[in-house]
Amino acid sequence: MMCSEREAQLNEYVDGTLAAEARALVEMHLAGCVGCREAVAELRSLVDGARGLPRAIEPASELWTGIAGRIGKGERGKGKRWWRGALAAAAALIIGFAVYRLLPSSAVFYGPEVDGWAAAQIDYARATDELAGALALERDRLEPATVALLERNLGVIDAALRESRDALARDPGNVELRALFAAAARQKVELLRWATRAAT
Amino acid sequence: MTRHSSWLVLVLALGARSGTAQAPPSRVNTIGERWPFAPDGSVRIVNPSGRIRVIGWDVDSLAVRARGSGRLAAAGTASVRTLVVTGRAGLEVRVPRGARVWVKSVSGDIDVVGVDGTLDLNSVVGAIHVVGTPADVTAETMGGPVELAGGTGRARVKTVSGGILLRGASVDLGASTLSGTIVVRAAGWQRGGAGVQRGHFESVTGDVRFDGELGRGGIVELESQSGAIALRVPGTTVADFDLLTIGGSVTNRLTADVAQRGALRFSTGAGGAQVTARSFKGSISIEAK
Repeated sequence: MMCSEREAQLNEYVDGTLAAEARALVEMHLAGCVGCREAVAELRSLVDGARGLPRAIEPASELWTGIAGRIGKGERGKGKRWWRGALAAAAALIIGFAVYRLLPSSAVFYGPEVDGWAAAQIDYARATDELAGALALERDRLEPATVALLERNLGVIDAALRESRDALARDPGNVELRALFAAAARQKVELLRWATRAAT
Repeated sequence: MTRHSSWLVLVLALGARSGTAQAPPSRVNTIGERWPFAPDGSVRIVNPSGRIRVIGWDVDSLAVRARGSGRLAAAGTASVRTLVVTGRAGLEVRVPRGARVWVKSVSGDIDVVGVDGTLDLNSVVGAIHVVGTPADVTAETMGGPVELAGGTGRARVKTVSGGILLRGASVDLGASTLSGTIVVRAAGWQRGGAGVQRGHFESVTGDVRFDGELGRGGIVELESQSGAIALRVPGTTVADFDLLTIGGSVTNRLTADVAQRGALRFSTGAGGAQVTARSFKGSISIEAK
C-alpha cells in the first residue's frame, strides 16, 4: 500500500525528474516500504508499456474495463471504503496518465489524430463519472464547507471544460486547445481524487 | 485506502510496546514534552483542527507544546516520532533544522519556520506558510492559501481555490491551482540564487504572475485557461519567449516585437532560458522589471 503523501514524488522518481538529493531520499524510503516499492514497480511497468504504444492507440478503453470492474467489486463490500478510494485513485492516476500520454507537449505540433483523441476524451469522461460516483457515496463524510468548496470548484472546472470542448468542436485539430483541455481535465481528475481521498 | 492505512499504521505504532518509547495519550490543557532527536530525524504530525507551528532549531531534540482541549499521543524513537492530536489543540513543535517533517491537517493552519529538511504538508482547508530554506517542499491544501518564503531547492504546491505565493531564491518550482492565483517572486543570482531553473505554473481560472529572474538555461512554463498571465523579468534577461493565447491578447513591453493573432515568439539572445505561456482566453503580458 503506497504512502499517499509520496504519490507525486514516486511519479517523479519513476519519470527520472527528481533531483539527486530527493532521489536518494526516495530510495531510502523505498528500502523500508514494501507498498511504495510495489507502487514504483507498477508505475514503471505502466511507463514502459506506454512508451511502446503508438500515439493513436486507445489504451484507456481497455484499462478502464478492468478498473471499472474492480471498483464495482469494491462497492459491493461494506467496510471497504479504503479499497474503493484506492481504486478510484488508481483509476484517476491511470486515466490521467493515459490522457497525458496521448497529448503532445505544448510546444510541439503534429497532425491531428482525432480517433485517438476522441477515445481519450470518452475515457476521461468515463473516469470522472466513476470518480464522481465513488465520491457521491462518501460525500457525507466531508465537512459541509468542504463539500461546498468542492462543488463550487467542480462548477468552475466544468465551465472551463465546456468552453474548451466547444472551441475544440470548432477547431478539432488545434493542438494547443487540446493541451489546454487536457490540463483542465487533469485538474478535474485530481480534484475528484483529492476529494475522494479526503472522504475515505 | 491511504488514509485508513495511515491510521492503521499509526494505531499499531502507538500500540506497540517494544522498540519505541511510548507515552499514553495525554489530555491537553497546556503541556510540554521533549525528546532527544536526530538532526535528520523524521517527525509525523497529525492534528485535524488545531493550528500547527513547526520551528527549526539548532538543538538535537524535539520539543512539543500543545494547548487546547484535545489529547496528544506521542510515540517513536530518536529518529522517527509521531505526534497525533485527537480533538482540538494547537501544537508548537520544535525540530532540528535538518529534520524531515510530515504534517496532516483538516482545517488547521500549518506554519513552518526555519526547517532546512524535507517538508510534506497537507491540509484540506487550512493555510500553509513556510518561511526558510527547506530542501524540498510538497504542500497541498484544497481551500487554503500557500505561501513559501525564503527559497527552496524544489517545491511542489497545489491548491484548489487558495492563492499561491512563492517568494525567494528557488531553483525548481511547480504550482498548480484551479481557481486561485499564482504569484511567483523569484530572486535570482543578484541575491545569491541561480534563478528559476525549472518552473511550471498552471491554473484554470486564476491569474498567474511571474516576477523575477530566470536561470540561465532554465525552463519556465505558465498556463491558464482563462486567467491572465503576467511576466516581469529583468530587462537584461536572455531567453526565448513563446507566448500564445487563443482568445485573449498578448502585450509585449519588453521588446519591440508585436504579437500576431494572439501569438508571439521572440528571443533576446542565444543560450538563455525558455519561457512558454499558454492561455485559452486570458491575456498574456510581458514587461521589464
